[in-house]
Amino acid sequence: MSHSREDHERTMSTDVRTTRRLQNVRFRSLTSAGLTAAAVLGLSACASNAPQDTWKPAGENAQKIHDLQWPVFTVAGIVGVIVLVFIGVIVFRFRDRGQAIPEQTHGKAWLEYLFIAIPAVILTAIAIPTVGVVMALADTDDTECIINVTGQQWWWEYDYEVEPDGTICGFAPSAGEASPIITSGQVVIPAGTKVLMRGTSRDVIHSYWIPRLNGKRDMVPGRVHYLRLQSDTPGIYAGQCTEFCGLSHANMRMETVVLEPADFQRWLDNELEPYQSPDEGTLAKEGESTYITQCSRCHQVNGLVDDKGTDDAGDDTLVVSYPDQFVYSGAAPNLTNLMGRNTFAGASWDLLTPECRDDVWGASPEEFGDKYLAGVTEECLNEIDLREWLRNAPAKKPMYADAELLEPTDGKTRGMPYLALSEDQIDQLIAYLLERK
Amino acid sequence: MAIIERPSDTVALAPSGAPAVATPGTSYGVFRRPVHTTGWKSWLFTIDHKKLGIMYGITSMVFFIIGGVEALLIRLQLAGPNGTVLNADQYNQMFTMHATTMVFLFVMPMAAAFANYMVPLQIGARDVAFPRINAFGYWAYLFGGLLLNSAWFLGGAADGGWFMYAPNSSVVFSPTNGVDFWGLGLQITGIASLTGAINLIVTVINMRAPGMSLMKMPIFTWMVMVVQFLLLFAMPVITVALFMLMFQRSFDATFFSVEAGADPLLWQHLFWIFGHPEVYIIVLPSFGIVSEILPVFSKKPLFGYPLIVFSGAAIGLVGWGVWAHHMFASGLGPISVAVFSVATMAIAIPTGVKIVNWTLTMWGGKIAFTVPMLYAVGVIVQFTIGGLSGVTHSVAPSDTQQTDTYYIVAHFHYVIFGGAVLGLFGGLYYWWPKIFGKMLNERLGKWNFWLTIVGMNLTFGPMHVIGIQGQPRRMYVWTENRAGEGFFNLGFWNLMATVGSFVLSLGVLLFLINIYVSHRKGTQPAPLDPWDARSLEWITSSPPKEHNFDRLPTVGHLDEFFHRKYEDRGEGERHDYHQVATAEEILAGEEANGDKHIHLPSPSYWPILLAFSLPVMGYGVIYNLYLLAGGALLALVSMYGWGMEPHTAPSDDYDPPTGTELEVAAHG
Repeated sequence: MSHSREDHERTMSTDVRTTRRLQNVRFRSLTSAGLTAAAVLGLSACASNAPQDTWKPAGENAQKIHDLQWPVFTVAGIVGVIVLVFIGVIVFRFRDRGQAIPEQTHGKAWLEYLFIAIPAVILTAIAIPTVGVVMALADTDDTECIINVTGQQWWWEYDYEVEPDGTICGFAPSAGEASPIITSGQVVIPAGTKVLMRGTSRDVIHSYWIPRLNGKRDMVPGRVHYLRLQSDTPGIYAGQCTEFCGLSHANMRMETVVLEPADFQRWLDNELEPYQSPDEGTLAKEGESTYITQCSRCHQVNGLVDDKGTDDAGDDTLVVSYPDQFVYSGAAPNLTNLMGRNTFAGASWDLLTPECRDDVWGASPEEFGDKYLAGVTEECLNEIDLREWLRNAPAKKPMYADAELLEPTDGKTRGMPYLALSEDQIDQLIAYLLERK
Repeated sequence: MAIIERPSDTVALAPSGAPAVATPGTSYGVFRRPVHTTGWKSWLFTIDHKKLGIMYGITSMVFFIIGGVEALLIRLQLAGPNGTVLNADQYNQMFTMHATTMVFLFVMPMAAAFANYMVPLQIGARDVAFPRINAFGYWAYLFGGLLLNSAWFLGGAADGGWFMYAPNSSVVFSPTNGVDFWGLGLQITGIASLTGAINLIVTVINMRAPGMSLMKMPIFTWMVMVVQFLLLFAMPVITVALFMLMFQRSFDATFFSVEAGADPLLWQHLFWIFGHPEVYIIVLPSFGIVSEILPVFSKKPLFGYPLIVFSGAAIGLVGWGVWAHHMFASGLGPISVAVFSVATMAIAIPTGVKIVNWTLTMWGGKIAFTVPMLYAVGVIVQFTIGGLSGVTHSVAPSDTQQTDTYYIVAHFHYVIFGGAVLGLFGGLYYWWPKIFGKMLNERLGKWNFWLTIVGMNLTFGPMHVIGIQGQPRRMYVWTENRAGEGFFNLGFWNLMATVGSFVLSLGVLLFLINIYVSHRKGTQPAPLDPWDARSLEWITSSPPKEHNFDRLPTVGHLDEFFHRKYEDRGEGERHDYHQVATAEEILAGEEANGDKHIHLPSPSYWPILLAFSLPVMGYGVIYNLYLLAGGALLALVSMYGWGMEPHTAPSDDYDPPTGTELEVAAHG
């Protein structure tokens, strides 16, 4: 504080020179070192093959987002490193070493305008392509295939409509007439096709998200929202409900399965095959009866007939589910081809054993179609989770906090209730369900 | 209600040293005004902005610990796949209450604590404009927070997330009373925020010391004022939304019932029209604190003070036009998304201005690395990271990948913890000697700071990776199937975040230990001006006298206190600052020339009574409409009593000590 004026002046000018040198040398080296470190860290510090990696686009929509976001991340990273290095230099350079009290300057107008202009220019450069991609991703004119998707606590239902020309997604069935396909958990789409998911919800807001194919879109009750999906590469693309939807939000998953057109045709034909009752005298046949008494109130198996009951005309009665009587959302997954998919209960658990799962999920795009279409075989069935589920579903996947609190829903459950099935019944049901593909 | 200077002929000056005895005077209204200056009653019925500030601070610190424990439970649950520490129901309650507690019961009231305590001191006033309303605000906050948390013991807390999206908030989907407690608790604390906002706006506009034009006002006070305007317009929006929610749940209204034709997006718009300004309500007070600390420890005025003021106001204004960026995935339509996306980018500019001006404040300075300064620099660094990740999701298409993932959790914790909480801790260290007359231990403080910084980066840093690699938020379990492979898979980063949260807790624990250590018997009182500070609150004693200033200061400069202490003896371009007075000398001068007729408003029973009627009505809505009526009656009686209460106690009731010449030993 008692520096003479000369002292002070000298200090000031040295300050300026040192500062300039520092700016030039330290700045450049630190910036490049920082950038390299950040890049190395960024690449090595991530999981490999994370199935929901937002930085690994596998379709044109996600690619559009990625082409927009990586430059933004890069610019943000560079700006961040520059600012942080700048702060580092300042706090080191201007630390208190007994220098005189600095000039009580209140600012420099040109410097302040400059630092308004720089971010304004950068942000304008980001804003223009952003608007372009927003518009491109909202486009619905180029749609080649519409699939309805409906969210409910805590699973997704898919509904493939039959177009007026008798096709589904542009594919005509090889034999017979097309009828709507209703499935859940995994949605199968043909490779290279621009698919439009047309979505809503039956209860609360859910969000449909397959990160490698597109960003997410909320599915809101009372509203219809659209989401584009497309991929050229066969495989399974994982997703997860991303709008908090209550108790089992964490257990509401979904997958998009991309198949080559020829494989999609096989999948379509299989879905449309008429119902085949299990052979008489098998465990599966007993399972059919158990299914009718225990499951068919809520779960539909297309074409299932009850040969123990007959209608007025003396024919066997078609078994039609009526989940709206028991479940608040009014729907339960269609089990017609359960074993054609490889997950269940909101895609939360695998129907495949871990080895078989790895085999299908890790298959090359060329081999994938055959492996997926093989469905779940007896050897590959993950009996552990399926058994636990049938034994006590709400214990495995929380579906209502407290049974006493069902009053507001008139006793209707949200999700599958506890059915008190015997072990024998479970054996029968598993045998029966194994044939559903 | 405001501070009234008594006409000189009514002043009953007791002879020096003689105790002034309280004697019953004329009774007005329902009760006479209370006269307690010591003991618990002096806290219960106080309307002193400083006592209320301390009460805000202590209460919010308690809620901070509760919210922190909730956070630790969340992190324990997520440390590994398929966690079993909590079940789904408990987890959903935990993250809902963690966010609600941290936002409404910790960060906002902690900022209110500083605003209450510091704003009158910074503008050279003896109290706020409406002291009784101030007291009412504190009690409403406390009772609202207690009502909100009482849900834990009454069937379970709210489980719909702090954003409480409809229709998941309806009785069908959330059948316990948790959401009712949540909505009512927030309505009550909202009343506290609203009354506080009006009070502080009037205080700042009307009660500044002579000579203090708006552009000579300390920057913290400026930021507080911007925040109060935000509160003034934002709280009514959430109040409307909460009323609709209350009627939806308790009185069978159908505002959010889709089957009755409602659009659930209505709630989202209402919530975020409040919710986004809320973000700035949370960070701007801390920005003000940082803008106070940086000049003091750089020994330079704030660089570009007018621009910092303007950018603060601009953030406040543009903050109203960006709410829908919380809804980019909700199906707004491309035009809205594009507009809100660009508006969101625009708000980065005034935010960037702040960061640049803070760093340029330090440029060329004489930087002393005390604990408050470490926190201030910590804010700049951590908030820069949070701000830049914010820019990445102002890009709407990119946001549709990031929203509702851990990347967002990482972003807003860098903003809220890095931007707001670090700043508040900096403020605690900076103003502690002013408020309590004791220094917090610097060595412990440095440990506190570094553990907090390491802990927060270890907790929230990995969440960037977790989110970008696709892990959504609000999931009570995560599965290995989606965690990827390799050593650095998402399991590794989840574990790191959990470890970090405990390091962070250790840092916070050290703060509490520091309070204990610094207040043990035998610790020295703090120096009068420990930091060589620059603004008015340091002109008076520490802790300040009940009437704040013996003489109301006259202001000639921004950084008035600095200019009273230092003189520039340089000529022309050269500067040479010499200390011409110490803080002690300045204070002695103020005391010697103290105002003769200081009169402070008396304590009051009514604020706490009126505030108490609010939770009574709240429980009434949930359990029994007669209780609601009883609460309403109590409120009416309290308002009547409040209205009929004389502005001040009769002169023989209450005379606070007014400094050196007047000793008042005992009251009541």
